[in-house]
Amino acid sequence: MRVNANTGRCALEKQERLLYVLMLIILVGFAVTGFLAEGFVPALRGVWELQAHPARLVNDFTLAASDGAALVNATLVALIGLVLIRINGVRLSGPTVAAVFTMFGFGLFGKTPLNILPIIVGVFISARMAGKQFREYIIIALFGTALGPLVSLLAVEIGLPTALQIPVAAVGGLAAGIMLPAVAIVMLRLHQGYNLYNIGLTTGFLALFAAAVIFGRGRQLPGGQVWNSDPSLLLRLLIPSVSVTLVVAGLIGGGLDALRSFRRILKLPGRLPSDFMDMDSIAGALINMGVMGLAMWGYVVAVGADLNGPVLGGIFTVIGFAAFGKHPRNVWPVLAGIMLAAVTFGHELSAPGVILAALFGTTLAPLAGEFGVPFGVIAGFLHLLIVLRSGAWHAGIGLYNNGFAGGLTATLLVAVIEWYRANSPSRKPAREGSIGSAGKDTT
Amino acid sequence: MKRKDFVLHLIGEVAHYILDADPMRMVISLHQEEDGMHLAIMDNIKRNDAELDAIRASLNNPRRPELAGYYGSMAGYDSLGEARLNLIGWQVKHADVYCNDSGTQIDLWLGGDRFDPASFTIPNKDGEK
Repeated sequence: MRVNANTGRCALEKQERLLYVLMLIILVGFAVTGFLAEGFVPALRGVWELQAHPARLVNDFTLAASDGAALVNATLVALIGLVLIRINGVRLSGPTVAAVFTMFGFGLFGKTPLNILPIIVGVFISARMAGKQFREYIIIALFGTALGPLVSLLAVEIGLPTALQIPVAAVGGLAAGIMLPAVAIVMLRLHQGYNLYNIGLTTGFLALFAAAVIFGRGRQLPGGQVWNSDPSLLLRLLIPSVSVTLVVAGLIGGGLDALRSFRRILKLPGRLPSDFMDMDSIAGALINMGVMGLAMWGYVVAVGADLNGPVLGGIFTVIGFAAFGKHPRNVWPVLAGIMLAAVTFGHELSAPGVILAALFGTTLAPLAGEFGVPFGVIAGFLHLLIVLRSGAWHAGIGLYNNGFAGGLTATLLVAVIEWYRANSPSRKPAREGSIGSAGKDTT
Repeated sequence: MKRKDFVLHLIGEVAHYILDADPMRMVISLHQEEDGMHLAIMDNIKRNDAELDAIRASLNNPRRPELAGYYGSMAGYDSLGEARLNLIGWQVKHADVYCNDSGTQIDLWLGGDRFDPASFTIPNKDGEK
């Protein structure tokens, strides 16, 4: 028995090592591609410039700097996440893989190594204050980097004297990071795990207060989005390359068993926390990630949207969460709902807000997975209407605006479903004489 | 207070699981031992071996501090949908599950970082007490 347990642990550690190798190959591949596309020095210069660039929604780094600089910046952001996971002894599995891919994706339009560090340090301080180890909050720290634009905003956008820029930005980031765990845990209970981007709801909520304080005197900042409407061939081919790599890696790692595992994953509801790599297999989850990447890329191409930094960020986030809650079967109803809302209200499917909602709105996939297709469609429909407005509420400070809107949508639906189930007269009665039936008799 | 909240959430989640099976009886017993707490939950439902194995697997998950510290906080709060024993499994030191003549008993052993299994009557790997 003990031998079997040790063997199982060794096999798991070997698979995890291979997963690290795969992640490193992908990330180093991105960086090398970036340097080759741009040249080593120009790419680094672009990365340096991005550190002092506004980062609120939507600042497409492929246009603000260049493709190469954006890729190298995103790789650095993702590597920070991967190194933190490693040095804290946390398993590289569904949630952490999702975090690394999400960090990479948002490194193309908002996150930089400099603007995420104060947030991470803030969460570290929070863990110490609570008497916990940092690894207990590491998921919050990695996803919480969505508040990176707050640091950039304080440093470079609001016109502070030079001597105050860095201290104020650092203090702002630290304060946000310290508050993140407390708020994230409460937000999780609101939607009960039916919004995959819980930190999106959390950071959006905190960003509302940050925006209220920063703009409290009525000051407005110049808006306008930086959106690359002519993405290069390199950007357009990035997703198929990564997706095929993931599928091939899954097939090499698991063979036909990986395909069977993928089919089993399709039957899971996906509610938080659904670590597909742990619940089924790493190989099956890799195939799911590749399939989701290709499916979302195909959708973007089909509607004629731009495959630029933010859109690629959306697809990379979907790929990451295909190890942690999303699969084709629970995603399509939400996507259908978003498309239905867009058509109903006369929005172009390829418009920036709509295409980002289509990709990131899949945060609501667990609603379809748990309650069925109609709830997924309703969730997607409502989500689009909310998300097109919610970005302005927090001035784009919270990068996961779809996670924020998705959290509001999920909370609404969960509240209604819970109330209906608790009070519906058609609900299946409890067994005669059981604890449940006694409870009903008294009400 | 911190410990009280933790225990309340665990009881909430495991009670959710037990009540999903619509039992005629549920007994919850909690007592302090030398270096931790023992929470026992009994019902009158006789489960088959496969069901017991599934419960054991969920409750004896490998430790995942990164999930326990964050998602584990949903334990006792996720009333919509099925109860999820793995939320508990990440947070307890050990769990025993067995069926007897009167139903099923789940024993959860909660301990701090100084937890020493020798202080409890926990069976060892070979099944001896």
